[in-house]
Amino acid sequence: MYLKELSEIPGVSGDEDKVRNFIRERIESKLDEVRNDRMGNLIGIKKGRKSNGRLLLVAHMDEVGLMVTKINDDGTLSFAPVGGVDPRVLPGKRVRVGEDKLGIVGYKAIHLQKSEEIKKPPSYENLRIYMGFSSKKEAEKEVEIGTYVSFLTKYTEENGRATGKAFDDRGGCSILMDIIDLNERYDFDVYFAFVVQEEVGLRGSAILMEQLHPDVALVLETTTAGDNPEIPEYQWATHLGDGPVITFAHRGYVADKRVFQVLIETAVKHGIPFQMKRRTAGGTDAGRLARRGRGVPAGVISIPARYIHSPLSIMDLGDYRNTFELVKRVVEDGKIMEEVSG
Amino acid sequence: MRELVKKLTEAFGPSGREDEIRNLILEEIKDHVDGYKVDKVGNILAWKGQGERKVLLDAHMDEIGVVVTNIDENGFLRIEPVGGVSPYTIFRKRIRFERVTGVVGIEGETPDEIEKNLSKMSFDKLYVDIGAKNREEAEKLAPIGSFGVYDSHFVEVSGRFVSKAMDDRIGCAVIVEVLKRVKNSDITLFASFSVQEEVGLVGASVVAYDIMPDEAIAVDVTDSADTPKAIKRHPMVLGKGPAIKVMDKASISDKNILEKLINTAEKKGIPYQMEVLIFGGTNAAVLQRTRYGIPSATVSIPTRYLHTPSEMIEPSDVEGTIELLASYLEGG
Repeated sequence: MYLKELSEIPGVSGDEDKVRNFIRERIESKLDEVRNDRMGNLIGIKKGRKSNGRLLLVAHMDEVGLMVTKINDDGTLSFAPVGGVDPRVLPGKRVRVGEDKLGIVGYKAIHLQKSEEIKKPPSYENLRIYMGFSSKKEAEKEVEIGTYVSFLTKYTEENGRATGKAFDDRGGCSILMDIIDLNERYDFDVYFAFVVQEEVGLRGSAILMEQLHPDVALVLETTTAGDNPEIPEYQWATHLGDGPVITFAHRGYVADKRVFQVLIETAVKHGIPFQMKRRTAGGTDAGRLARRGRGVPAGVISIPARYIHSPLSIMDLGDYRNTFELVKRVVEDGKIMEEVSG
Repeated sequence: MRELVKKLTEAFGPSGREDEIRNLILEEIKDHVDGYKVDKVGNILAWKGQGERKVLLDAHMDEIGVVVTNIDENGFLRIEPVGGVSPYTIFRKRIRFERVTGVVGIEGETPDEIEKNLSKMSFDKLYVDIGAKNREEAEKLAPIGSFGVYDSHFVEVSGRFVSKAMDDRIGCAVIVEVLKRVKNSDITLFASFSVQEEVGLVGASVVAYDIMPDEAIAVDVTDSADTPKAIKRHPMVLGKGPAIKVMDKASISDKNILEKLINTAEKKGIPYQMEVLIFGGTNAAVLQRTRYGIPSATVSIPTRYLHTPSEMIEPSDVEGTIELLASYLEGG
C-alpha cells in the first residue's frame, strides 16, 4: 500500500509530474513496458501468457487544488479552483504554493465580522493566500500567475482509518500499484493507466482508447461516502466500512451490465463485502472511455471516503483491503474477459 | 407498421439495459440485411448493399428510465433518473421494473407538507411503493441498481399513436422499415440502433468508428409545438410530415444533406417540414465528430409530450419519414 506516500505528494490536475515519477520508479521493473504518453498519462503493460485480450485498469493521478490568478498590490494572492473545491473548506488552512512555499488561506477574524457576514459562505472573490509578502514586487520574486497551490496535509492512521488529502484518487493509484506488486502474469494483457486531469473533466483518459484498444476497462476510484449524520440513511451514497463500492450508473454513463455483474459475482464468490454506489451524481473516466475510439465496456470500483475534495478525507483501511481483494480476484478469475468477448 | 411500433415502444430498454429491445430489433431486421454485429458497447450495426458510397442511418434504442438507489427498512424504494426524467412527470405514475411494478409517491404527512414538496419537487422527495412489506422483500423484487421504465401501454387515439418510448423507438421502427424497403440502391446502407443516447450520446460516439460512412443521418423525435400555449418559436406540428432538422442545441445539419433531403421530398411529392429546435440534441452531434468527421444531419418525427409515458405521434409522419429516407437512399 502506497497510500501514505501518494497522498502527501502534490499533484493538482496538469501538474502530476511528481506523482507520475513516484509511481513510475516503483512499477518500472515489474512490467514489460512503461511509458508516458503525450498528455502525461503513465501507461504500464503486463503482457499476457496468451495475449488473448486486453484488460485496462485506470486510476487518476491528479487531485483537486488551486491556482494563483493574480498577485495583488499588498502581496497577497488571488486564486481559482482547479477541479471542484468548495471555498468553505479553505479558510484557515495551510497550503503549498508552487514547489515548496508555505501559504495560508486567511479569513477575516470573527471579531471583525458582522452577524450577517458570518452567515454567508466565503467566496473565491474574497479569499486570499497570505505568504508574508508585504508588496506585489516582493511576491513576484517567489510566485507567478499560474503557480499551482495544493493542500498540505500529513497522512495519519488511527483506529483502522486513514486521514489525508488526495485520497481521490491516490487510493485507486495505490490499489493499481498493489496489483502490479503481485507480479502475476495472466492469460490476457493487462494495461495499467495512471491518468492525468480527471478532476477538470476526464481529460487524460480521452486519449487512452486510441493507444490501447482495450476489450474491457475497469476504473478504480475513490468516491464520496455521504454517510453524514444529517443525511437520512436512504440518501447515503456509500458508507465507510461496508466494503468496495460498485457503480451501476453515474453521470453520463450506465456501467456496462456484464462488467457490473461480474464485479458482483466475484465479490459474492470470494466472500468480499461490497456495497452499491447509491447516488448517480458525479462521473468517472469510465464515461469517457466508453465514448472514445471503438468504445469499451467499462465498470467502476471505488473505495469510499468521507469529505473528499477537501484538505482532509477519511478512508477505512478495511475498505481499502477489500477493494484490493476484489480487484485482485476480478483480474485473477478472468471472467470479466470471457463475458465481454462472448 | 402499427404492430411494429406497438411492439418496439412497449419493450423494456432504459439506457444501459437494452437487451430486450436489442433482441426484438435483431429479430425484425435479420432477414432484411446482408450482415450485422453487436459492437463492444452494445450497439447494433447492420449493413445492406455493396455500393461505394456509405450512408449511416442511426436511431437510439434506449429509453429514459429510473434506477433504484436505496431501499428503506419499510421496503420503499428511492430512485434517480436515467436520462431526462422530470420528477413532476413521474410523480403518481407507475414504474415497471423487470420483476415488479411500483407506484411513485411523495413524502409528506399533511396536505400542506405535500403541497410544499410538490412546489419544489426533487427525486429526493419521491419514493416508489412496490407493495413490499419490508426491506428484505423489496431487495428480492427490485434490488439497488434495478432499472425501471414508465409502465405504459400503446394506444391508438383518433388515428394517432400514443406510448412511452416513442423517443426513439419510432426512429427504430422507421429504420427497420427502410431496411425492409430499400432494394435498388447503389450505396452501402448502414443502420445503427445505438445504446445510452439518453444519458449522453454514448453508443453513437463510437458506432461509426470502423465504418466511417460518407454521411450519417440520425432519425429521432422532435418537440411538436401544436398544443395549447406550446413554445411559440417552434414550427413543428403533427401531421405535416417528416421534420428536416436545420439546427438544435447540439448540432447543425450538414448543408448538402439538407439540400438533398429537400430535393428528394420535392421530387417525390412527400410532405415535409423544416425544423429548428431551440433545445435538445440528437446523435448527429457525436456522429459528426467521429474521428476525422462525418457529414451528419437529423430527420425527426414530431412528437407531443416527450419524455412522458404518453408520447404522441401521427402515423402519416412516420410513413413520410420512411418514404423520404428510402427515396433518398435510392438516389432520389
